[in-house]
Amino acid sequence: MTENEFDKLWQQAEVESYSQRLAAEYPGWRRKQQRTIGMVTASLAVVALLVLVAQLQQPQDFEKVYCNRVGTTDAQWASLAAEILME
Amino acid sequence: MKRLLVILMLLLPVVTIAQSELYKRYASREDLTVAQVNGFKLNESVRVNVVLVVADNEAAWNRLKEELDIRGEEGVNSWLGELKQPVKRVKWNGKTLLRVIASHARRTIGFYRIDNEEQYDALLDYQLNKMKK
Repeated sequence: MTENEFDKLWQQAEVESYSQRLAAEYPGWRRKQQRTIGMVTASLAVVALLVLVAQLQQPQDFEKVYCNRVGTTDAQWASLAAEILME
Repeated sequence: MKRLLVILMLLLPVVTIAQSELYKRYASREDLTVAQVNGFKLNESVRVNVVLVVADNEAAWNRLKEELDIRGEEGVNSWLGELKQPVKRVKWNGKTLLRVIASHARRTIGFYRIDNEEQYDALLDYQLNKMKK
């Protein structure tokens, strides 16, 4: 076993023993842990949904804009691309 | 946290690849504001990528004009340019090239990437239709 492998196992053992001790001393801990995991998962799902909705609501005249400065919106750049063509 | 960093590290090259060589060439210059509009809609089925270069001042504009061999002081100059060297004027040959439009009034140059004949036709139609309105 390498030193690195030993460290990993040691850390794992520490975490497991800590979890077991908490579970023994405080019965509600497991429930609390699961609730936290559930909340984090739900938050991530909401964020993913919001990103998806934002993508769908984005104006369809362009897909993505990159710019080397701040101050001009993506829509303004797309508008400029259209205006230059019409000059 | 480590996983998040790994994901960000993986996404970074994707973002970098999405930026064209042309965008990168001008974006590093201090006197230019540069934007790349990906998927600019020409009609229901055709989109192109556009790089817009705006000179922040008269000196920057004059430098750009010199680099791209743009003459005149008013109106618009436009031509088809080679992808890697837009200054080189070419005729439509079916290969990937750039439709370059320089507006003196706006001190702006638009580089419209044309990959195929469909895009080329759509761009010309877009210009004609919008001008008629």
